[in-house]
Amino acid sequence: MAETPVVDIRRVGKAFPNVRALADLTFDVRRGEVVAFVGENGAGKSTLLKILSGDYQLDEGEVLLDGQEASHVSPREARQAGFRLVRQEPEIVPHISAAENIFVGELPQRHGVVDFARLRADAWALLEECGFDGLIDPAAMGDTLSPAQKHIVEIARALKPGVKVVAFDEPTSSLTSDETERLFTLIRKLRDRGLGVIYVTHRLHEVMEISDRIVILRDGRLVDVCETQSVTPDDVVRMMVGRDLSYGFARTETTRPEVVLEVSNLSSRYHENISFKIHAGEILGFAGLVGAGRTELAKVIFGDIHKRSGEVLVVGQRTRIRAPSDAIAASIGFAPEDRKGEGLILVRSVMENASMAVFSTLSRFGILRNRMMIDTVSPLIDSLEIKTPSLEQEVGKLSGGNQQKVVLARWLAAKPKVLILDEPTRAVDVGAKAEIYRLIDSLAKSGIAIMLISSEMPELLALADRIVVMHAGRLSDPIEKSEASEERILNAALGQQAA
Amino acid sequence: MTNMSQTTTQRSTENPLKAITRFVGAENLSLVIALVLLVILIASQTPFFFVPRNLMNIGMNLAVVGLLGVGMTIVIVSGALDISVGSIAGVASVVSAIFVTYVGTVTGGVFMGVLAGALLGVVNAAIISYLRVNAVVATLATLSAYRGIAFLVAPEGRPIGVLDQSFAYIGSGRVLESGSFPGIPVALLLLVAVAVVAHFVMSSTVFGRAVYSMGGNPAAARLAGINLTRMKFYIFTISGALAGLAGVLVTARTSSGQPASGTQGLELEAITAVFLGGAILAGGKGTIVGTMLAVVLLATLSNGMNLLNIPTFYQLVAKGFLLIVAVAIGQWRMARAERAQARASLAG
Ligand SMILES: Nc1ncnc2c1ncn2[C@@H]1O[C@H](COP(=O)(O)OP(=O)(O)OP(=O)(O)O)[C@@H](O)[C@H]1O
Ligand SMILES: [Mg+2]
Repeated sequence: MAETPVVDIRRVGKAFPNVRALADLTFDVRRGEVVAFVGENGAGKSTLLKILSGDYQLDEGEVLLDGQEASHVSPREARQAGFRLVRQEPEIVPHISAAENIFVGELPQRHGVVDFARLRADAWALLEECGFDGLIDPAAMGDTLSPAQKHIVEIARALKPGVKVVAFDEPTSSLTSDETERLFTLIRKLRDRGLGVIYVTHRLHEVMEISDRIVILRDGRLVDVCETQSVTPDDVVRMMVGRDLSYGFARTETTRPEVVLEVSNLSSRYHENISFKIHAGEILGFAGLVGAGRTELAKVIFGDIHKRSGEVLVVGQRTRIRAPSDAIAASIGFAPEDRKGEGLILVRSVMENASMAVFSTLSRFGILRNRMMIDTVSPLIDSLEIKTPSLEQEVGKLSGGNQQKVVLARWLAAKPKVLILDEPTRAVDVGAKAEIYRLIDSLAKSGIAIMLISSEMPELLALADRIVVMHAGRLSDPIEKSEASEERILNAALGQQAA
Repeated sequence: MTNMSQTTTQRSTENPLKAITRFVGAENLSLVIALVLLVILIASQTPFFFVPRNLMNIGMNLAVVGLLGVGMTIVIVSGALDISVGSIAGVASVVSAIFVTYVGTVTGGVFMGVLAGALLGVVNAAIISYLRVNAVVATLATLSAYRGIAFLVAPEGRPIGVLDQSFAYIGSGRVLESGSFPGIPVALLLLVAVAVVAHFVMSSTVFGRAVYSMGGNPAAARLAGINLTRMKFYIFTISGALAGLAGVLVTARTSSGQPASGTQGLELEAITAVFLGGAILAGGKGTIVGTMLAVVLLATLSNGMNLLNIPTFYQLVAKGFLLIVAVAIGQWRMARAERAQARASLAG
């Protein structure tokens, strides 16, 4: 090892109130390699990245960036030193354009005024160089961007000149397979240009595909650093969780004859004539590309987007859903995909967030019963294995995957008849994912009708009893589980009529 | 999995400081400390401060701003701002005076004052919800409009004298007055009652939690089934009604229904108290206890400065300064507490 590593991490430790996030970590990242970080939710992956990016200060040890001491840097200094972080939750300013979001803080100027023409041109050029051209309009406002597009902005932001190391924190959790492919092409290009790349994900097949070495973390400690070629996914999982894990999962069909959710001829500004039925105990999978209108469909059913025409029936009863509160009253639950923007109240406690949808049943005469809240929430925290120092912890201080589980806990507490899950395992680790699959399975067994929106093909194939594919606001005929394949779904998603 | 068991550890050794902390909440401790220091400072400079009569006066003076502060806390926690409350109090002051003096009904006067306030609050909510005007802009508009209404309602735009003794009792009466003990102001008792109810509502009811939720993240609150429009109506109506009650108090204390004097600028004092009490502009944070401590602190400060003959101009500067210092100390304390706890977990 004659060459100095581009990131050198030596005996690094970090603690938060009541949580020891990292302890005694030592490893390096070299030029021209892709290093994957893997570990369960709360293992400390994001924390480590945020120390490198200057968001957090380390408590012990030291960090060198390209041979330079960088243990206590500000975010600005870290950027200038060449470390760029693509965050798990992109920070997008809502009322400025995508191009301005990319160049925020470094807008091109002429005579002291922003040079918008150059800004546009630079944004186009950067997006093209990244291979993301055509996926995003640089002039679009921040708040009109889809989660995938927000991520693309975040990535482009990281690759502005001067970059030496890029760290991706779960970049693909809101990307489709096509976008993921483009990202991988980009990562390989960056690696070949001699950059150091750090890649954090819960998707092991991506780790196996893209990385050269794997750093395995458990409870803030380093378990091992291994060459990707010399290990199997099962080895990695075993090291991550510290035990053998049966994450293979087989769903037994539990569909019963009675129809629980019936949607007929639903139209909105995003959809035309959508009709489908979900039976008691059935999981209906919704596939499609990002932007196909699946999230919007969920919101129309849930009363958050105006419905132009059509009916929604729950257990044969017509509903009049005009707002989410009506949907909840009609026994429908909805766990949104964008947990930071729409799922959670980050400044409030785990307990409040988990019990929000059922405040009225946990109260008498409008007065909340603390005991009842605890009795409702505690078992859910345990069964979902949510890692939190207490029920009073602010949700914003949990790790990404644990936040996702709090959203699920809220809807489990509500005991709905229909549950709409939009990307329920986004950012969830393998162990917890298997746990959530089992949970969804057992919810279905108990007779709940589940509408499962997912961009992860294996997830749909593992869980769904039937799969419908959405393309440009229209829905395909259901594909039976026995006939479903990735190919067939993808064809339908791209708008080609399946053979 | 590992750190689930730490939920119920701390609570064994309880020294007095911890007991206070638990009562007022850790985030309000700096206010208590500031108050204690201020009291010591003033008392050491003038013998007229620690006199029952003076303390009673402070209590009487803070009731009006206190009532507005309660309403403002709810509004700010919900993520909005209501700057029309001073003007609402002005309208209520005139309305209550009209009913007491010209109709001759004291209960009617109180009731109509509060009702007028509530109605103006409903108008605020309607403008915000249906015309989709931002709360700050909407209440900035009504701040001006309602002040005008107060003058229009008052005959010839002039103050209305109120001579009814039982009405005056609400504003300047005292209970338990005996010998050297000057008694407890009725207005202060009224404030305490309102604050206790509000504290309970904010901390223990579905409504209160919904206010915190919508302030913390309106989109998430909406998707969790909270009807934001309805909430805004409740919140601004409560704020208006409390402003109405404050206006009634002003009339009762000064024995006249005033369109302007006595209520002008009160919104700023109330907002100052709420932020001093630990709320944040973005919403989702803030407590009634914090605001009440801040109200006491501000009232003590201006009383002390009056006793020390400090000119009003300096007093204004001092209040602004206090707000900034207090918020800064709050931030610093929070960061320090987190660091200390983090060190503890490093050792463990
Ligand atoms: N700002 C914070 N305040 C308090 N605790 C924190 C904070 N940030 C992270 N933690 C805690 O530190 C630990 C590590 O969190 P981190 O976000 O690094 O996990 P992660 O490996 O990225 O998990 P995930 O896969 O779920 O994203 C967790 O227990 C988390 O609750
Ligand atoms: Mg993370």
